[in-house]
Amino acid sequence: MSKRLVMSILIVFSMLGGLVGCGGSKGTIKIGLQGPMTGDYAYEGQGFRNAVELLVEQTNAAGGINGKKVELIVEDDAGDPTQSALVAQRLVDAGVVAVIGAYNSTATEPASEIYNEAGILHITPSSTAVRLTQKGFKRFFRVCFLDDRQGLFAAKFMKEVLNAKNVGILHDNSTYAQGLAEETRTYAEQMGLNVAFYDAINPNDKDFSPILTRIGAANLDAVYFTGYHSQAGLLLKQSAELGLKVQWIGGNAANNPVMVEIAGVQNAKGMFVTTEPLPQDLNYPEAKKFIADYKAKYGEEPASVWTIMAAEAFNVIRYAMEQTKSTDPAVLADYLHNQFKNVNGLTGPILGFDEKGDRLGTIHVAYVIDENGNFVLYDKQPSP
Amino acid sequence: MQFLQQIINGMTIGSFYALVALGYTMVYGVLKMINFAHGDLFMWGAFLAFTGLHVAGSLTGQAQPWLLGPVFIAVTLVVAGIGVLVERVAYRPLRSAGRLAPIISALGVAFILESLARNIYGPRWLSMPQGFVPSGVLMTYQDVRLSALQLAVLLIAFVLMAGLYVFVQRTRTGVAMRAVALDPLTARLMGIDVDRIIATVFLIGPGLGGAAGMTVGLYYGSFDFTLGWTFGLKAFIAAILGGIGNIPGAMVGGMLLGLIETLASGYLSPQWKDVIAYVILILILMFRPTGLLGERIAEKV
Repeated sequence: MSKRLVMSILIVFSMLGGLVGCGGSKGTIKIGLQGPMTGDYAYEGQGFRNAVELLVEQTNAAGGINGKKVELIVEDDAGDPTQSALVAQRLVDAGVVAVIGAYNSTATEPASEIYNEAGILHITPSSTAVRLTQKGFKRFFRVCFLDDRQGLFAAKFMKEVLNAKNVGILHDNSTYAQGLAEETRTYAEQMGLNVAFYDAINPNDKDFSPILTRIGAANLDAVYFTGYHSQAGLLLKQSAELGLKVQWIGGNAANNPVMVEIAGVQNAKGMFVTTEPLPQDLNYPEAKKFIADYKAKYGEEPASVWTIMAAEAFNVIRYAMEQTKSTDPAVLADYLHNQFKNVNGLTGPILGFDEKGDRLGTIHVAYVIDENGNFVLYDKQPSP
Repeated sequence: MQFLQQIINGMTIGSFYALVALGYTMVYGVLKMINFAHGDLFMWGAFLAFTGLHVAGSLTGQAQPWLLGPVFIAVTLVVAGIGVLVERVAYRPLRSAGRLAPIISALGVAFILESLARNIYGPRWLSMPQGFVPSGVLMTYQDVRLSALQLAVLLIAFVLMAGLYVFVQRTRTGVAMRAVALDPLTARLMGIDVDRIIATVFLIGPGLGGAAGMTVGLYYGSFDFTLGWTFGLKAFIAAILGGIGNIPGAMVGGMLLGLIETLASGYLSPQWKDVIAYVILILILMFRPTGLLGERIAEKV
């Protein structure tokens, strides 16, 4: 009972907050975007901004949402948890009703606490750490899929497609990569694989020869690296220079052409990546139109699937506002939990969201890097 | 055999720390000032090499290894020029302003240089143009590999260190530098142009940094604007470890830090390498507060 009381007080307060916010900005809907515009993941953050700015422009040109213009407020969290808490507070103070972000789970976690307290609708395009949705936040959603589903997919891929017996798992001590590494280890052990190597590197390291020398001596059939693309590229390059014969597999944070550029095509060739489908493999009319518009505005296609996911998050918010004729986060969150079903999205049909705010279903697939350095869908995939 | 490979790995990383540490030590030895902008001058070496190799490649029509020479010299000179400019604009006006102001000024320059790199080249990782550096293994003994590039890095670090040492010990300018380090006022009375000597220090220190930046950029093949921070901090620590102000000390400190980090990563876990490296560092400083070799640049003028 008392929990309910607290909740209703929170809701009342959040509504008051919403009213105050609306009072300051007559006739616009304020939506926040936070992401790493600078720092190690700046490439991804700028993709977020490009994608959402494009959609806001298109929405406003078509008359806005429910007759109101959208005002986008972009904040830079640099991928850093401390900075993230600061910019989250700034967005709350600016009176946003919904926020898209952050990129990495490490930055999303502190921000989600602040948005939850302020009662703001919060959708992350790309943070897949399982525990983000384990806290009972009623207005937190994600349009990407959970780490544990990717972990299950990766374990299956190593066992069924690669016939691996001894496998290694390497993460980079970030919230995201560690979560994925732990889930993968759990599923791999359940399936009878021997996880003979499990360790982590540090997020800012550039030289991996010590740990690679150890991996080389451990006789592994495959190593799954769950960290980000820049370090994945350096790992591949240095692994080849040390003459390692091990099969590398990357997680979805390695899913970026920059990795191949860093590694060099000859070193990246033959590496597998478990991920959501790449932008160009999205065979949906919505996706094709978005990618064409993006290219027309910015001169290049979105390189990362997370750029598409940021657009997806905006579209979900817009759709919910249009369907409910409301900008009240409580109404929107309730709608997303209970009535939002089977909507065509950029990344395929969005089946809906479960009670925790996680997107239903999964779309993970395995890619292989071919001799030209391109990511191509691998012809063998594990059983669904 | 794994151990021998780890020693090679450690000495390669150690050479990079030593190369960058030379610049810190050089400036500190003469001015008793820590040039926190050195890491970012070093980072600019990598970025300018990126531009230089692209330009050289397009001028001559194809990537040829001999182009590394002229680009290396050009990068060293340009970064040295930036160093002199930084000294003139940001440090010289503050030389008599106590110890704190120049440190803050140096940190300011570091942030400016880093932001400039990010704004000019963009925040993403850059990859050096291919074809300039001959890749391949020089020696293989059982599973142990030594690449030509690793050997080159070791040699460059050693030659630059030795050259700098001879310069400071044997040349007239070197003697003047040591005089300025010992007592700037008396040195001026002896007819030494102190401003010019300090400008020379800022020509050599950042020039070495630029050379190191290009070497690191080519070795790892790709980098971003945070390069200066990552290596700069470690190199600063290496300089302290070996005895800041002491030229062979930078080499010893760099090698030691590289080896400790590598062995900790290779036999325990990379997660623990910093803990182990810094516990050892603190212990060494407890017993030898001036570093392993102590400060020696100003001795015996």
